Amino acid sequence: MTHSSMESPAPLDENTSRTGMYEEELKKFNWNLILLEIAIFGIGMWNLISATAVQDKSLGLYKHQLVWFVTALAATGLVLLVHYSLFSRLAYLIYFANLLLLVAVLFVGKSSLGAKRWIGFGFFHIQPSEFMKLSLIICMAKYFETDRTIGGYGLRDLLLPTVLVAVPVGLTMMQPDLGTALIMMLIGVSMFLFIKIQGRTLMMIAVCVAVAMPVAYKFALRPYQRQRLISFIDPQADPRGSGYNSIQSMVAVGSGKLFGKGYRKGTQSQLNFLPEHHTDFIFSVFSEERGFVGCVILLALYLAFMMGGLSVAHQSHDKFGILLSLGLLMMFFWHIVINLGMVMGMLPIVGVPLPFMSYGGSALVTAVLAVAVLTNIANKKFMF
Amino acid sequence: MAFLGQEEQIREYQDRFKYLYAALFIGFIIILGRLVHLQILQGDKLRQVSMENHLKRVKIAAPRGMIFDRNRTLLIDNRPAFDLEIIPQYLKESKQSERVIHQLAKLIHMSDQEIKNKLDKARTQPSFMPVKIKVDLTRDEVASVESWKIDMPGVQVEQEIKRTNIYGDIAAHLLGYIGEVSQTEIPRLNKMGRRQYKLGDNKGKSGLEERMEETLRGIDGEKMVEVDALGRVKLERGKGRVLGAAIEKPAVPGKNLILTIDQDLQLAITKAFGDKSGSVVAIDPRNGEILAMVSRPSFDPTEFSRGISPVLWNKLLANENNPLRDKTLQDHYSPGSVFKVVTAIAGLEEGVIDENTKFRCTGSIRVGNRVYHCHSKRGHGEMNVVSAITQSCDVFFYRVSQKLKSVDDIAKWALHLGLGRKTGINLAREASGLVPTEQWKQKRFGDPWNAGETVTVAIGQSFVLVTALQLANLYASIANGGTLYRPFIVKEIESFGGQVLKEFKPEALDKTRLSAKTYELVKQGLWGAVNSPHGTGFWSKLPGMDFVGKTGTVQVIRIAADKIYQKCESMKFRERHNAMYAGFAPANNPVIAVAVIGEHACHGATFAAPVAKAVIKTYLEKYYPDIYGEKVLAARLKSKAKPVGIPPKPVNENEDIVANDDFENSRTTAPPKEPVDADDADAGGEQP
Repeated sequence: MTHSSMESPAPLDENTSRTGMYEEELKKFNWNLILLEIAIFGIGMWNLISATAVQDKSLGLYKHQLVWFVTALAATGLVLLVHYSLFSRLAYLIYFANLLLLVAVLFVGKSSLGAKRWIGFGFFHIQPSEFMKLSLIICMAKYFETDRTIGGYGLRDLLLPTVLVAVPVGLTMMQPDLGTALIMMLIGVSMFLFIKIQGRTLMMIAVCVAVAMPVAYKFALRPYQRQRLISFIDPQADPRGSGYNSIQSMVAVGSGKLFGKGYRKGTQSQLNFLPEHHTDFIFSVFSEERGFVGCVILLALYLAFMMGGLSVAHQSHDKFGILLSLGLLMMFFWHIVINLGMVMGMLPIVGVPLPFMSYGGSALVTAVLAVAVLTNIANKKFMF
Repeated sequence: MAFLGQEEQIREYQDRFKYLYAALFIGFIIILGRLVHLQILQGDKLRQVSMENHLKRVKIAAPRGMIFDRNRTLLIDNRPAFDLEIIPQYLKESKQSERVIHQLAKLIHMSDQEIKNKLDKARTQPSFMPVKIKVDLTRDEVASVESWKIDMPGVQVEQEIKRTNIYGDIAAHLLGYIGEVSQTEIPRLNKMGRRQYKLGDNKGKSGLEERMEETLRGIDGEKMVEVDALGRVKLERGKGRVLGAAIEKPAVPGKNLILTIDQDLQLAITKAFGDKSGSVVAIDPRNGEILAMVSRPSFDPTEFSRGISPVLWNKLLANENNPLRDKTLQDHYSPGSVFKVVTAIAGLEEGVIDENTKFRCTGSIRVGNRVYHCHSKRGHGEMNVVSAITQSCDVFFYRVSQKLKSVDDIAKWALHLGLGRKTGINLAREASGLVPTEQWKQKRFGDPWNAGETVTVAIGQSFVLVTALQLANLYASIANGGTLYRPFIVKEIESFGGQVLKEFKPEALDKTRLSAKTYELVKQGLWGAVNSPHGTGFWSKLPGMDFVGKTGTVQVIRIAADKIYQKCESMKFRERHNAMYAGFAPANNPVIAVAVIGEHACHGATFAAPVAKAVIKTYLEKYYPDIYGEKVLAARLKSKAKPVGIPPKPVNENEDIVANDDFENSRTTAPPKEPVDADDADAGGEQP
């Protein structure tokens, strides 16, 4: 195919030595995302050591996080060895395999805190819903790559991709894992919007969503999830109850002031006022201890990461590459925005981890693998 | 075409990236804006919130001042007490609550159910907070719990401070007790006082604990401890706490009191008093220092200091002898014969009688159409002022009062000597007593004074009321020749470390002196009462100690004429006479004045005088061993040497034994079987 011949590295038939070629490749290799990832993870690790010094269930968990990261970096190497078109070929296989895991979770999953999210593999557990995000993005990219619709999608055109999104979302909500389901939905919606939907259709969808929302509120959400929404609208309504997390988190962020309380001196987290301080509320710990200055530095790193990612997508020359990298970036974007919005009291409390900062093996590996795929796309011209 | 279409689509896609960049920037700007809002604009406020969140004020209890007697004998101390607590969380975690509770119940002598009830009651509080199961463990209980503690998870012995009256119920009324402030009195207290009270604080509720509250109470300190979200106090981790140094304000201990009281005297009185009901007050006539102040029966304030048990409280309330009441100053009594010295002084000072004035006692006199009896049925015969005091002749004093212009002359001298008004001692709820005047009666009853009332006032009956403290003060005032001091109980205030901060000086309230003649005559009369064979208190004399004083036996109810001479012991307890004694020692340069009131103890001579004797003997032996020490005294009595000091010479000794009526009185030298010394049985004189 012309497509692939154009994409394959040109100088192959010339007599340059392979080693010389590799040196050249390595020089031009786009390390940006991996370096930023390591930088953010470094800050995250440092912060996690403080957050997991608390005498509770989180004590010393940072070690696990480090193991996961190193493992995921090794996997990154493997991902870089293949051409990302491989994912295009395997897209549906990956999607359905992951769906199977999601179904399996509902039956053989390990329960924790009233949710069944994990599948045990001997000495470790994974959260298939985290990986489902990757699988969904690959699958969607594949679907839209091969789709021939021209001039905006109508309702009928969106039926199949909607089902592709709805099935994992539904399965994830059954665990229940509202945060991950929400992220999947947002990834789906973002990609739909990107590939352009007819104005008329968009309007209809908007109306449908508006109508469906109260219904969903009543029937799809569990009581505690509804409570979270209520307490988001008015946290002071029940400051000791459901509004507690949100208030304590805002207090933690705000009390950091300009320079923070100092490393391991964040009273909100160290004294257990913050719930889930090592996972979803990790940013509260960081902002309490490092203050505004630290937060700005972290935000700048995230912004640089997102910009670097967007430029990868932007410079990609094939549809699959664009859609895949775009989906992955949307995943990061929504994770960052929703997590920070929640931690700072701008959004209701939904369990969405902050990439590279929050404790959690599956989420971390997912993020690192996503970066690996993005780097793969960025460096596609050097690949086989 | 497919390829071209894709190329186009790719270009179209790339066009849309500007929206993505825009969305990215907008998202990050919103987040940054929120950060500025929380951390910069609201930072101070939220920092404050976070501080209050995790810092908890913990009270450091300030020790209350201690109380000592005049010789620095410790009377009230703050001693450790041991309480048993259970932390329900650990008990639950051990999964053997039943066994632990059962084992514990045996060790601390409670039933399993009682322990379970206490735990149940505390179910609403967090389970890591200790629940008090039993307060004030005995030493044995502490030891056995400590040695089995390893088998009883969640069980712990907690040390607390307990206000302890070292001598138990001795001087309970004077020292008082402490208790927790009640919710209702807190606003009032905090409005008045400088120091703020909080729920759970202790406060003096009676006696000196109440009166000297401001002095005794320390200032509680406080420290800030870090607590986690569940309110658990965090232990220090590593070198420092999470937040570095905690804020601390040390406690300032209360100040100590040094009393004028002598504890040996208190003990001697308590022993002599036995199980009777009544009170004793001893005062130093030279300055008004209270040497002893005892009200019986009593209670142990220690029982109150950590919350008295309802059983004990009800028992105290049910006791008909009223152990909670301070009988030294809250109750007043008819003084009876002990008041006669006032009439004598009034007569002498107003010039209506002198040492030569004699009246003949025939056993009764008639005033108007009423007959007023003397306690001696047959009469005492010829009496002068000295023998009248000695033999407590009622008729003599009836006659003196008739010679006076009015009852107001008696009242005048009674007031000079401290009766009819509060003594001004620094203790709460003092009764003022009563000395009637014509004006008073007019005002009180709207009736004019009648002559018969003057007669009864002259012998300390009718309206006259005194407290034991006033009585002691009266005799102290007589003893020093007329100066009335404000009795005081706190000698010094010293810092917790023992440095004297304030000394209390004697304060003379009335300096009207008795003339030398009056003083001498009254003293002789009082000397005779104890030391002359005719005296009503002869049985209690203290050889060589020149103990002088006056007995009194006062009816508590009106008795029909035919029952006046009924045997006291055969009456119902509540109707028996009150036994009184008031006096001082030594006769020359007196150093101690005593008043004893024995409720329903029948005879001043047989009950009250011996108690006074015990007080005086203890006191003189202790403070003047070279004059009154046992050996010195025995040697002096053996050598028949003249008493030390100025022995009161009975000037009219011969006249003292004038009539054969004296035969009756001389019989009081034997233990009185007949109510011969019921010298006040004449209250029945009210009958027509």
